[in-house]
Amino acid sequence: MTLAGLSAAYLRARPLAAALNVVLLALGVATVTVLLLASRQIESRMLRDAEGIDLVVGAKGSPMQLVLSAVFHVDVPAGNIPLEEAKKLAAHRAVKKAIPLALGDSFRGFRIVGTTHDYAAHYGARLAAGRLWEAPMQAVLGAEVARATGVAPGARILGAHGIGAQDTEHLHDESPYVVVGVLEPTGTVLDRLVLTAVESVWEVHGTGGEPEDYQEITALLVRYATPLAAATLPREVNANPALQAASPAYESARLFRMIGAGVEVLRAFGVVLILAAGLSVFIALTQALEERRYDLAIMRMLGAGRGRLFALLVLEGFLLAAGGVVLGLALGHAATEALGMLLQARQQGRLTGLLWLPEELWIVAGALAVGLAAALAPALRAMRTEVAHALAEG
Amino acid sequence: MLSLRGVRKRYGEREALALERFEAAAGEHWLVLGPSGCGKTTLLHLLAGLLSPSEGEIEVAGERLDRMNGARLDRWRGRTVGLVPQKLHLVPSLTVEQNLLLAPYLAGLAPEPARARALLADLGLAAKARARPAELSHGEQQRAAVARAVMNRPKLLLADEPTSNLDDAACEAALALLQSQANACGATLVVASHDRRAAARFDRQLRLGE
Repeated sequence: MTLAGLSAAYLRARPLAAALNVVLLALGVATVTVLLLASRQIESRMLRDAEGIDLVVGAKGSPMQLVLSAVFHVDVPAGNIPLEEAKKLAAHRAVKKAIPLALGDSFRGFRIVGTTHDYAAHYGARLAAGRLWEAPMQAVLGAEVARATGVAPGARILGAHGIGAQDTEHLHDESPYVVVGVLEPTGTVLDRLVLTAVESVWEVHGTGGEPEDYQEITALLVRYATPLAAATLPREVNANPALQAASPAYESARLFRMIGAGVEVLRAFGVVLILAAGLSVFIALTQALEERRYDLAIMRMLGAGRGRLFALLVLEGFLLAAGGVVLGLALGHAATEALGMLLQARQQGRLTGLLWLPEELWIVAGALAVGLAAALAPALRAMRTEVAHALAEG
Repeated sequence: MLSLRGVRKRYGEREALALERFEAAAGEHWLVLGPSGCGKTTLLHLLAGLLSPSEGEIEVAGERLDRMNGARLDRWRGRTVGLVPQKLHLVPSLTVEQNLLLAPYLAGLAPEPARARALLADLGLAAKARARPAELSHGEQQRAAVARAVMNRPKLLLADEPTSNLDDAACEAALALLQSQANACGATLVVASHDRRAAARFDRQLRLGE
């Protein structure tokens, strides 16, 4: 016999009401948890993908599209830029490092990126098997590509024209790639790319034989030599009619702000659910109080002080809230994991529900506080039970 | 053991009880007789420290109840007084045995599962220990309520209308049970009743409202 046991006995006596309150609270907690887990993971992945890239230079168009296509590899590029211009820019004294990207083809939905070894090095990639490409038409697979397709070094693969869905009609079947290596997982966009030399992309598209003056690439990832470059280089690039500069940091922040509004709405929905659960706990306890007047009076008769009765009711609110929190966190993590599995094919890097964030403690604290607050008024009323009156009236 | 002097309990204008003098020694069995509304229940609640008098002195087991209040009075009551209310009021969400164990728990005493089992066996309720109160007959519920009232070996055992709605045999049994349980823990017994059948079993009687 303990106070918690007593509270639990009362909850067990009204299983449906208790279950409703727990489930309602759990749904709210789960909603907020999923949002927290998903937005945190997407944000940190985007930050990791954009890390160390100060500027992206590509064809004229929307700067957001340029960043999405060249850094995160989720959008199609607006066009190409002349190799000559790219080379000039790479040699600029404000540029510390420039990595070329040539896009256009894909392998079973994974992008084939013509680039230099610098690109792999930029994300700290290490080889899991084989070696990096040393000649055109040699390809190195990102970890996720190798896992999803089951292709190993030594195999020949065909690129399909276009970025996105596999379309057999546009297979470049006269120019296969030889897989020479597979990268270890990096937790970045690299895991979902097929890397090759820039020349491979030219060769596949039949421009391989032409002089370099006529060649094109899709984008250039630029790292500044000095912080001062941020003030001058973008303007200089944008003055060139063939080029456009976009800052991944600025465009990602803009993107977060746009997604942010939606996330806010969903989070508010979750909070409303939690508050509704609080209201439901309040109503349930208040109603139960009416039935329990005599029990409370008998408890006072048996020597329980007013504080005990108060604690009993508060404890009931707490138990309901704790049940809702535990169930809600479990639901939230399971839902995030399920969402990750569902979106696996379409998203670069998948969401996981196995991640626990310190911010979740705020959700726990918030939900428990709502439970306690909901129990407060009934608990105060329980405390004021008129014992003699209740016992006499029976 | 128990003494009241010049006690009055008023609710606004209405006087619920006026009692000049009432004294009982340890171990005595008293019957408080009187028609309904004469203040029998009020007297029991005053003796239990559930009500405080509008005026007058109440002393029970060496404590002045009219001078005690709050948590101290609650604690004293739980350890000193056992009450069998008219409507019994067993806690419906607990088992019979848990209802008994509630008494020492709420009074802040050590749990005594052995005593609870012994009392239940004594009162023929051993088989009902794990049943809910709603599954018991009225007679069984009353015995359980008496068992709960004597769990903490009170010095004062109070019973409010224990014979109402009982036939003669059950009436006899209920009173005998109260008296034997009061004797078993050496408690002073005060039974409030308007039932004249009870008078035969009590030498000491207090008449109210006459």
